[in-house]
Amino acid sequence: MNTLDRWLERRARGLARTTSRRSFLARLGVLLAGGATLPLLPVARAQAQSAARTAKPGEPPIDTPVGDPASCEYWRHCAIDGFLCSCCGGSQTACPPGTQMSPVTWIGTCRNPQDGKDYIISYNDCCGKDFCGRCSCNHNEGERPVYFPQRSNDINWCIGAESTVYHCSTAIVLGVATEE
Amino acid sequence: MLGAARALLAVSALAASAHAAPPPAQDYVLECRGCHGARGDGAPGKVPALAQSARFLPTRRGRSYLVRVPGVAGSQLSSARIATLLNWMLRELATDPPAPRAFAPFTEAEVTRERAKTLLDPIAERAAIVAANR
Repeated sequence: MNTLDRWLERRARGLARTTSRRSFLARLGVLLAGGATLPLLPVARAQAQSAARTAKPGEPPIDTPVGDPASCEYWRHCAIDGFLCSCCGGSQTACPPGTQMSPVTWIGTCRNPQDGKDYIISYNDCCGKDFCGRCSCNHNEGERPVYFPQRSNDINWCIGAESTVYHCSTAIVLGVATEE
Repeated sequence: MLGAARALLAVSALAASAHAAPPPAQDYVLECRGCHGARGDGAPGKVPALAQSARFLPTRRGRSYLVRVPGVAGSQLSSARIATLLNWMLRELATDPPAPRAFAPFTEAEVTRERAKTLLDPIAERAAIVAANR
């Protein structure tokens, strides 16, 4: 009798453990916590990163945290001298409405800290409106004096546009540079 | 051991590529394209079209001009790289007329010799060569 009692009690307790509300809550808890933790695992992060890197051929991945294009410290601005078009109604690749992109410009290279590659950057000026005045930025990496005009950012490159009035500067990626 | 050997190979390959000069197309982008444009079209009245550069090939004076023009002679490129760049430009960008297939390519020695001769009035020199070609 005693043995039967103990056996029955064990079975009843076991059944209660595996089928009770508490058991259901415990499983739900595991599911919720586990589901939230999964994207934090290195495997998931690596997969997300590789998807972002293949998104834009020729250009560095823009959805990885590379910085703010409207900031002077953004990597593409390593040799820009002027007002950032991103702050003036345009973008880093397009002139604000009412201005014209100068066809002549100077071209340099900047290193993208995300992938360690040097990119060729064209700093076309936007011309035809009074100077923008916002987000003034002056970085001079690889920049040369004006007697090397093709490597100088101190020149008003609106000399090539219809109007020589300077408004702001863009920073357009032309491609990846080969190292010397 | 095999892994170490592979790593060493990779490093030496990297070092070799780092020492090679960039291709002439890149030198063109960084030294010339800003003014002359992606295809060498220039800007009418402001920047001469490199598409017409083969017109300067037939005479010694014309060849000399292509080297002595300030943007070329005064660039920070070595004479060897300038020679490679000029030959690339004549093959890739000269369309009006195209450069002859068998044109004598510029050499480092020719560029070194000609770029040392300062061109005081490039615009007058260019006009004189174009007029003489007519």
